[in-house]
Amino acid sequence: VRGYLDPVKRRSGTVLVAVVVAVAVLVAGAFVAVSAVQGDSSTKARPTSPTSAQKSLFAGIQQHGIVLGSPNAPVTLVEFADLQCPYCGEFARNALPQIVQDYVRSGRVKVAFQGLAFLGPQSQTALRAVLAAGGQNRAWDLLDGLYARQGAENSGWVTQKLLREVGGAAPGLNVTQMLRQSDSTSVTRQLRDAERSASQAGVDGTPTFFVGRSGGPLQRVALTTLTAAALRPALDAALQG
Amino acid sequence: LSDRAARSLLAAGALAGLTIASYLTIVHFQGGVPVCATNGCEIVQQSRYAALVGVPVALLGTFTFGVLLLSSALRKPIAVVGAAGLALVAVLFAGYLVYVQLVVLDAVCMWCVASDALTAVVAAAAWLRVRHALT
Repeated sequence: VRGYLDPVKRRSGTVLVAVVVAVAVLVAGAFVAVSAVQGDSSTKARPTSPTSAQKSLFAGIQQHGIVLGSPNAPVTLVEFADLQCPYCGEFARNALPQIVQDYVRSGRVKVAFQGLAFLGPQSQTALRAVLAAGGQNRAWDLLDGLYARQGAENSGWVTQKLLREVGGAAPGLNVTQMLRQSDSTSVTRQLRDAERSASQAGVDGTPTFFVGRSGGPLQRVALTTLTAAALRPALDAALQG
Repeated sequence: LSDRAARSLLAAGALAGLTIASYLTIVHFQGGVPVCATNGCEIVQQSRYAALVGVPVALLGTFTFGVLLLSSALRKPIAVVGAAGLALVAVLFAGYLVYVQLVVLDAVCMWCVASDALTAVVAAAAWLRVRHALT
């Protein structure tokens, strides 16, 4: 009868509750710790397969060199980025897929990648491979694959093995040709052009974005968060302008 | 509050939470964005905090609310205490997620906040049942 439980049962009930509370607090603490570590780590590879991500993200979308999307898209988005920059990786993993799905796939926006290599030699190695893949119109597949497996800055993560693996997952990309072309004068010229463009545009960090009507002046976009939602207003405004 | 009232509250809260969490789970797997009064939902849903070791938090919520809904039909003390333990884990983690939205992401997802509030209601009801079950 409620309220008249014998003292032994009452005591075992109290112990049970204490154990449950302790376990619950420990489990919740573990959840919070894992979530916090995930949130803080911006250099870890994303858990999903880069191969499947590449296929689904860019399938059926035109690529011309470093530009993703229809050449006739009314609006252009330019991103200055370093392949070793954790925030660039965060944007590529978390925001770009939505931008591609909502704006690029429909032919309304094209995205131009302006690669910089200011974080160290590994940035340049990765960027040269991307630009060389651009010679085969597969730069964005390589970009996506490299960001998916981005490591800590200059930790040695940009290996030939990695480039071969990521390149091998890019549909239609001749990896041997890409690696051969990565040291070409054409790629070097593109590197210099991007550096010059960044200097002229006053780019002082990455990622930095510019948006505007294609062929017209582009406006710098200050993002409060590296999300598609943060970029939407600028893209929508340019599309209406 | 009687045990019957606590059970009803638990069932109602868990059912409402299950509905919201299921909706967010479906949206997550479809790769879309929840219908939202602000753009906070997209920011929260696409953040690194929206999944735990690759498992969408919305799916964890669906599972938790589902189990708690089932537990409202059970009367054995061990089941009641177990459900309260699960509800305690949920409400502590929900509190952390509210902190993440307000402080870390500076974006509020109305569906997530509604789910977090329901978690608090459900946890209170679950622990009221413990009080009844053990006295």
